[in-house]
Amino acid sequence: MLVDAIRAEGFRLSKNRTALFWSVVFVPIITLVIGTITQFVMKANEAKLLADSDAPPGLKMMMQRGGELDLAQGLVEAAGNLAGPMVLLFVLIGAATLYAGDYRWETWRLISARNSRSNLLLGKLAVVAQLALAAMLFMLVAAVIENFIRASIFDRTIVFGATGEAFGQFAGLFALSWLRILQFTMMGMLAAAVTRSLLAALFVPLVLGVAQFFTPQMLGPMGFTPDAWLSILVNPGAAMDVIKAAVSGGEAAAGLADGEVLKAWVSLGLWTLLPLAGALAWFKRQDLSKE
Amino acid sequence: MTAVIETRGLTKTYGTVRALDGLDLSIPRGGVYGVLGPNGAGKSTLFRILLGLIRPTDGSASVMGGAVGDVAAMRRMGSMIETPRFPPYLTARQVLRWLALEHGIAGEVDIPYWLDRVGLTEAADRKVRGFSVGMMQRLGVAGALLSKPELIILDEPTSGMDPPGIQEMRALIRSLANDDGMTVILASHQLLEVQRVCDRVAILNKGKLVREGAVSELTSVGERLRLSVSPPGKALELLGARGAADGDAVLADVKRSEGPDVIRALVGAGIDIHEARWVGTDLEAIFFTETGAVQAPETIHAG
Repeated sequence: MLVDAIRAEGFRLSKNRTALFWSVVFVPIITLVIGTITQFVMKANEAKLLADSDAPPGLKMMMQRGGELDLAQGLVEAAGNLAGPMVLLFVLIGAATLYAGDYRWETWRLISARNSRSNLLLGKLAVVAQLALAAMLFMLVAAVIENFIRASIFDRTIVFGATGEAFGQFAGLFALSWLRILQFTMMGMLAAAVTRSLLAALFVPLVLGVAQFFTPQMLGPMGFTPDAWLSILVNPGAAMDVIKAAVSGGEAAAGLADGEVLKAWVSLGLWTLLPLAGALAWFKRQDLSKE
Repeated sequence: MTAVIETRGLTKTYGTVRALDGLDLSIPRGGVYGVLGPNGAGKSTLFRILLGLIRPTDGSASVMGGAVGDVAAMRRMGSMIETPRFPPYLTARQVLRWLALEHGIAGEVDIPYWLDRVGLTEAADRKVRGFSVGMMQRLGVAGALLSKPELIILDEPTSGMDPPGIQEMRALIRSLANDDGMTVILASHQLLEVQRVCDRVAILNKGKLVREGAVSELTSVGERLRLSVSPPGKALELLGARGAADGDAVLADVKRSEGPDVIRALVGAGIDIHEARWVGTDLEAIFFTETGAVQAPETIHAG
């Protein structure tokens, strides 16, 4: 049963402290440390930065002394950035360990006879989803702490302006970030199933992600605008940004072209479902005696 | 006799190599069943097909009355094929807990009992990364037994074990069949071990079944009485056509029921008998005959 596979994978992952540290805890800690150091550096250079007419307005706003700091808005911003490159990279470590672990440790033969292969693979996906969720929650905790530190450094009062709109944006951006992380790791699942290799499960999504990052620079000179079907279809990261702009509303949403959001959903959907379908189809017929 | 494993025309080819060549095999319920064969005979391929790890090229196989891959039927079977490996960051206890969760039996399984049964109680909370091959084997066996299956397949379960460990494993296997009522299918290269433990055996060679039957029946064929006597010449004279020299000893081609009479006759004729024992066509001899494998000169045919 699927629930057996999920519970077993979850148990196994819970004992793998190395994977948990790198996937869940490391990025939030680093983000918090770097964020805090940045706040102190800004504080130390406050006068110079505020006097600098070339300093970005956003930066000056962050250094604003006194007044209120809206934690709810801070969380909405953090939710939109949860699928950043660092989180993608480090959640991928845990995901690759899960997807390729049974090939690496030659343990498929211990478990594959007593459950359907679809359940075994979907069980891993469900645990990767939980892993991503845990990493995102830790990132949010780091964001909250960072906001408190900023409030303390710049003498601001923390308020929580939880409006319905803010909650809707938070939920939408959080879910979107979650989907983007899963989509990114899905190539790792396919690579693990096809190659039986942990390294492939790590590097295939990474190399593909880097290549996708540079597609606008490649397609632009060929006449494809950023809102063209091809531009969005080949780049799920860009698709994510389009949907994020739509969810955030305001100026960002107003700048979107007609049909751009639909194209983005198609892109994100295809990059999520095609690797999953491919991995399931491949795994169902795979010779598991060669691990 | 109902069959726990049934194969019909089971064939598996890897390129031009036929690992299994139309294998027809029926393994009855109950007891310990040995599957023998030289390397490349098709034993591992057979087990891999039965576990659903690979698909046959042709033919069919059923496990516990269901087709291979039928999860309900497969859940009635436990297995340990080849030397098992486990995630190194888990302890022995955690490995069994993980397997119990995978098998959907976490609430009903008594992990300390199984650790004790395979002699791993003291190592229960040690990470498996430090385990010897023999300990891995024991843990693999415990994992295969967790769900108390009706059928258990063990491939080389004593590989890497020390002599006391082999003896314990042998006792465990017999106890699984005798006390727990499991059907045990055992593959081993240690023919003496198979002869001691198994009730029936199948000998495979080049993917085909070349011999099958109860161990007692197979080994009783060609059984002879080996006598260490002095003087051997006089004993041979007395035995006539039924006697043959075997080094310093004499082999008497007589039935078991005739043994005491033969010994009495020899003693009566003034021949000293230093040792008398029955030597049969043991599994090793059958194995080498059936598979055409070359037998090492120092191999002893123990009776």
